Amino acid sequence: MILPEFEYRKPKTVKKALQLYQACRGNAVVYLSGGTDLVPRIKQRLEKPSVVIDLKNITGLNKIELFRSWLKVGANVTLYELKNHPFVKDALPALADSLEATACETIQMRGTIGGNVLQDTRCLFYNKSDEWRKARGYCLKMGGQVCNAVKGAKMCFANYAGDNAPSLITLGAHASLSGIDGKRQVPLDAIFSGKSGRPFALKSGEILTHILIPTIKTRGGYLKIRVRDSIDYPLVGVAVSLVNGKGCVAIGAIGGKPVYFEFDENETGWDQRIAQVAESRVTPVANTVLSPSYRKKMVSVLVKRIARKLEEENKL
Amino acid sequence: MKEVEVTFTINGEKVSADVKPYETLLETLRERLYLTGAKEACSLGSCGACTIILDGIPVRSCLILTPEVEGKNITTVEGLGKDGTLHPLQEAFMEKGAVQCGFCTSGMILTAKALLDRQKKPSKNQIIRTISSNICRCTGYKKIIEAVMSAAEKMRAT
Repeated sequence: MILPEFEYRKPKTVKKALQLYQACRGNAVVYLSGGTDLVPRIKQRLEKPSVVIDLKNITGLNKIELFRSWLKVGANVTLYELKNHPFVKDALPALADSLEATACETIQMRGTIGGNVLQDTRCLFYNKSDEWRKARGYCLKMGGQVCNAVKGAKMCFANYAGDNAPSLITLGAHASLSGIDGKRQVPLDAIFSGKSGRPFALKSGEILTHILIPTIKTRGGYLKIRVRDSIDYPLVGVAVSLVNGKGCVAIGAIGGKPVYFEFDENETGWDQRIAQVAESRVTPVANTVLSPSYRKKMVSVLVKRIARKLEEENKL
Repeated sequence: MKEVEVTFTINGEKVSADVKPYETLLETLRERLYLTGAKEACSLGSCGACTIILDGIPVRSCLILTPEVEGKNITTVEGLGKDGTLHPLQEAFMEKGAVQCGFCTSGMILTAKALLDRQKKPSKNQIIRTISSNICRCTGYKKIIEAVMSAAEKMRAT
């Protein structure tokens, strides 16, 4: 599949990347890192950039370091590097599981944590070739008048299919962003707009530079449902993390952003209760290869499986 | 659109080429350098037929822009054999009958090579996990896994 024409730029600092973005204003500009999500989207004409700014050569964004009480992960760190970091393996089981479950090992070696978190929402009627979409008529996310997944709907239902954002949310991670107006740090959940059509609430040209994870040892896990177990995006993804009896559940791949809620492990029957709450919080629609009712049911099944694993670990 | 000059090392040889800024590495390999070992199948990074090794890491060349590989070191399947002798993985694939139509083979071999380079003695499960990122629609993977295990053994012995 041949790529459309665009210019390629390779700045060496975040400042230069931001200046370049400003200089190219008026054009369609996209940031590139690993490219495992972006390049297929450009090939399928879901993105039509005139300029691609490659952030891979920016020094400082490819390191994992301890910074005060945070594990500071550069946005260009690959999923494979992060998965093999001793602190992640030892103290952040939900993240270790979700990294392991992301795509396949070869993609993990190229794909970055920044790009994985900022991946676009997906839909059975959107992630198709241009010819397919044209033949059917463009959907809302493509600038059409109506949703092709839910007949007659005037809103988009595409799913945020990132594996790692739900885990990071349960861990209380923050995002560090750099823009033309300066730097800011926000809870990871705040980068999501909640709208499937445009899933992120970043300012124009803003760059995700780091993910900050509290350096607290947690218990937890992540499970997902997918068709091809070796590589696919999640069709349901559930992350659970616990610290000192306080826990958080996040559900991904249903709707435009991960849904999450907190719970207390000391309550009797917490495992059954969080499974029920998790299922009640999601409303899948028929926009994946699995049916909405199956995906909804599997949310509580996955939560129970993780809860069972946690209880077994407790007994050891 | 203005072409970009890119210099990189491929199979031990330094190469410079003027390429389109939106050219994939797979296009450059196949259509400029005539290294047709890497194959185009899904073109979206799902199948692994275009796998090459970039600075020791197996990557999908259909997802990489050629300007991204400036100064990098690339190995393709054409660079594995030396002085008329095949790489142990290539030998093992032939011996075990791990090749049928052959379309996935170069990607399989390079993915396996990157694994054996970083891990001398991988378990069967590790081999399955790594190889599962590449699609083969002929062999059912059994022979491929056997071939990688056999090559790993041979490589440890030498």
